[in-house]
Amino acid sequence: MATPDFETYCQQLFDHKTAAGKPEVLKGIRVLSCTQYILGPSCAAYLAELGAEVIKVETPRRGEPMRHTTPFNEPLLFPLSRWVPEAGTGLGFFGANTNEEFITLDFHRPEAKAAMLELASKVDVFVQNFRPGTFDRWGMGYQHLSKVNPRLIYQWLGGFGGWGPGRVRASYDILGQAMGGAFGITGEAADRGGTPAKHTIWLADYWGGMMAAVTILAALYWRDTVSGKGTFIEYSQVHGVQRLLEYSLPLYGRYGIRRERWGNWDTELCPHGIVQCGKSSYPSSQNPQEKEVGYILVTAHTDEDFKKLCDVIGAKDLATKFAKHDERVKAENQGFIYDAIEAWAKDKTKEDVAALLDKAGINNQPVWNAKEVSEHPHWKLRGAVQWYDDPIYGDLHHQGPAFKMSETPPRLKWALKPVGADNERVYGRLLGWSKSKLAKMEEMEVI
Amino acid sequence: MAINQGLVLTCAKCSTKNFLDPYPFWNFSGNTKCAGCDTIYAVSFVKGQQTSGPTPGSGKTDLLPGYAEDKTGTPITGDKIRPAPQARPDPFSGKQKHIKQSLRGKPVSGSPLKKEDLVGSRARFIADLHKA
Amino acid sequence: MADTTFPKHKVLPWPAVPIPTPDEVYAGMTDQAKEYPLSLEKQLRQSENFKKPENLTTVRVLDLSKGMIIGNWASSMLSELGADTIKCEPPDGDPLRWQTPFGRKEYMFKDAETGEPIGLHFLHEMRNKRSVTLNLEKPEGRELLKKLAVHVDVLIENYPPGQFDAWGIGYRQLKEINPRLVYCWVGQKGQWGPSKDKPGNLDPTAQAACGFVHGTGLPKEFGGRPTRSALWVADQVGGTSAAIGILAALLYRDKVSGRGQFIEATAAEAIIRILDYNWGWYGFDGSIRPRYGNWDLAINIYAVNPCKDGYFMVGGGHDRLWYRIWRTVGQTRPDLEDEILDDKALRAVTARLPHLRQVKTYTVLADWQKDHSRADAMHHLLAQQVASGGVNYIDEVAEDPHFKYRGHVDEIEDRLYGKVLYGTSPAIASECPGRLKWIGRPLGYDNEEIFLRLLGIGPSDLAQLKKHGVV
Repeated sequence: MATPDFETYCQQLFDHKTAAGKPEVLKGIRVLSCTQYILGPSCAAYLAELGAEVIKVETPRRGEPMRHTTPFNEPLLFPLSRWVPEAGTGLGFFGANTNEEFITLDFHRPEAKAAMLELASKVDVFVQNFRPGTFDRWGMGYQHLSKVNPRLIYQWLGGFGGWGPGRVRASYDILGQAMGGAFGITGEAADRGGTPAKHTIWLADYWGGMMAAVTILAALYWRDTVSGKGTFIEYSQVHGVQRLLEYSLPLYGRYGIRRERWGNWDTELCPHGIVQCGKSSYPSSQNPQEKEVGYILVTAHTDEDFKKLCDVIGAKDLATKFAKHDERVKAENQGFIYDAIEAWAKDKTKEDVAALLDKAGINNQPVWNAKEVSEHPHWKLRGAVQWYDDPIYGDLHHQGPAFKMSETPPRLKWALKPVGADNERVYGRLLGWSKSKLAKMEEMEVI
Repeated sequence: MAINQGLVLTCAKCSTKNFLDPYPFWNFSGNTKCAGCDTIYAVSFVKGQQTSGPTPGSGKTDLLPGYAEDKTGTPITGDKIRPAPQARPDPFSGKQKHIKQSLRGKPVSGSPLKKEDLVGSRARFIADLHKA
Repeated sequence: MADTTFPKHKVLPWPAVPIPTPDEVYAGMTDQAKEYPLSLEKQLRQSENFKKPENLTTVRVLDLSKGMIIGNWASSMLSELGADTIKCEPPDGDPLRWQTPFGRKEYMFKDAETGEPIGLHFLHEMRNKRSVTLNLEKPEGRELLKKLAVHVDVLIENYPPGQFDAWGIGYRQLKEINPRLVYCWVGQKGQWGPSKDKPGNLDPTAQAACGFVHGTGLPKEFGGRPTRSALWVADQVGGTSAAIGILAALLYRDKVSGRGQFIEATAAEAIIRILDYNWGWYGFDGSIRPRYGNWDLAINIYAVNPCKDGYFMVGGGHDRLWYRIWRTVGQTRPDLEDEILDDKALRAVTARLPHLRQVKTYTVLADWQKDHSRADAMHHLLAQQVASGGVNYIDEVAEDPHFKYRGHVDEIEDRLYGKVLYGTSPAIASECPGRLKWIGRPLGYDNEEIFLRLLGIGPSDLAQLKKHGVV
């Protein structure tokens, strides 16, 4: 198949440890991120991973609300800021503010507005996710900033957009998932006692930020190769979720058929589903997450693979009855197949099942938990998850960028910094503020 | 104010409030058990609406409440209620967890600091790690 | 063959309820209040799309991916923004073309010219793209690909790791032919590493391998199992990442280097990137993130719980919203409001997080929700400015006035496939908005045109190639 050295070639080309020695795509592009939570911030973070100079603006002293979000209250990194060292930043902040510089500014103060306008005149991209119209009222809408800076790419992100019947609604990620339709079709089927299930990732927020990053990069491409002009871009996260719905929409539109939940099975391919393995992979672990039984994805939807699978699990009757995919994939038939696989797997761990299926050449993927992913040599080698030496917080474990590039790779430099950690550097560098002006603004809590 | 009978089951015997959480109990018919006094109650819910019970009964418990508080409002935990999802062997306290070392034993700034502990915006003990 | 009596029920044309007009939407507002949303509409309404230029007019994309939606998704991101996108399929088509839910052929659409069926999943992502065929198993097919590579800016493929390289049409070879080529491999787990992709690995392979499945669904303690997304969502997020990489590479090429590069985007790593604190928490103290159903480990109130006619989301992580939620509940159930407000242990925001406190919160909330429909509950909570809303079914998504008005969902009258309801591009912009030109394409529909225009191969030569199974 592959020439023997192709894998080595790729490994060398995409090695995340050599990324720092390679150029950055967005060198020289400056971004101002006036954002909170995840939707807006993540958009700017994806640009920061590509080398843009991203300046995050937060409320003085305590920073933005996502810093105060952490699972079950427990993990925090200190200090929150040099003014409030007894408080910490929660891990909810991780992933959405990578590689950025952190300044503070209280938007409500008149002195702040002057500073904002000055900053905005010096940036290529302005990202904000406040309620529609808020920044316009403060004199910092696209209509205002584009006059000062016609090359500005102004990205607004939010739930429902600034126009239309639902424009005044605040939104959250899972509200976007729910109203957008992805929530209602995910989860175990109703007639098997299931309920709709939330995607564990902040899908609407984090992936929404990616979608906005796509439009920003496309806008930069257009600006810098053709037009020289900026643009206003509006991203509605519920719109994004609706874009994900694929066949559900044309099916409903022409035939009035409503897609429903189908649990861990696939509507288009069979078998291609996640089944339970009856034994725990770590029966003596004290951690309930490890003690739980295992699960595995079994993919054997071609007629040839299905026959092999039936041999492995000893289901000769199914092999005959469902030899053809058109029979297997029918809604009324799928259950027989998965029940048979689960019955066979009842006395096995997911690793046992994987080994047996691997031997027979049947595709499978065990369901890995956060520890299994973190410790897996594949993800570690590829830098998908990595330990890194953070200059402020110490030894941190963090995700790497989502994709790899051979010449100008995105990279992780730092996960976060304390609130206002870069005030002196940014205000001094960009606005020429003296030490005394900085001190005054700090005293007044403008910054 | 007493709670109307429903997903919050107030035990007639000991006044313990048993919280029958909305996912497992929404469409449920069977026995649950008061976390305060072990009385078995037969209950039925359809779409969260109580269609029968709570009727004191006997037999095996089908599903424990998700949580309970006695008549003074004190939480009842342990094996009288269903276990909470856990990320580690030790159960969550709901309080901040302060650490000085990461999982692999290297220094990390995971505990509260005072102003005198800082050099700029970072903990001195972290800054000291990078001293030549 | 399609069942001509399908469907048996009456189907309402879309929209079943007319789209509101601007006057209806902004009724009762002062001119001053209307000014802002109307100014936005003027810049952003999709009816103006075709008067505006496209970001990627100068870019040509060749999408050779098959069997997975990740490549199709990546090329859709580009084709919606104006890239001239060619989908190059094997002679018997991208397998996705022939797939249909539950094998139901009656769901598939047929094109007006040839009557060829097309699966709706493939159709939805086959937007603004042309279809050509090439048999890469044959050396002649690969030679033609090399010739095509000269004319494209972006190439996307998802073949098993190393396959294209072994065939002499991988990045290493094609960059010699076209140094400006941006070459993007997409897949589930990668071209290299101990667990790299095997042929036939399909989403949700990536979902299972990255921690997503483990973390989704009701907890074991609630009788739940790890759950996959209904969507091939890892592919969709991975395809979006690929698009970011491709655009970044184009920027760098055209502003700095004049050269292309090799991009690798995997569905699993895209999800790993956005599994927010999984990795930080593990490194902190070895915590393995548990699945938590429709509740949240870090915010209370922030959950979906059942209600009278389905499932309902309420958000209120701050004090201000917390009290407004209970005030709303207290309008009909003062006993429940009191239960919560009297509980000292729920006073502090952070004290509401432990699981047992969440059980109490949501049991009490659900006891209120059981008597309210989604619309009703939302109406009451919105009056208190609490963000909330129902879990929508597909028909509700398609008919929501806000989504119709803003064109999140729209119907195109496609020349070949007729009226098609679809999800529109969320790239709403004043300068260069994303847009749909056509949706779906029969297999090899554009062979004649593309082979002539780009390769100078006329119809009789093309017929010969077809005879020899090269196209």
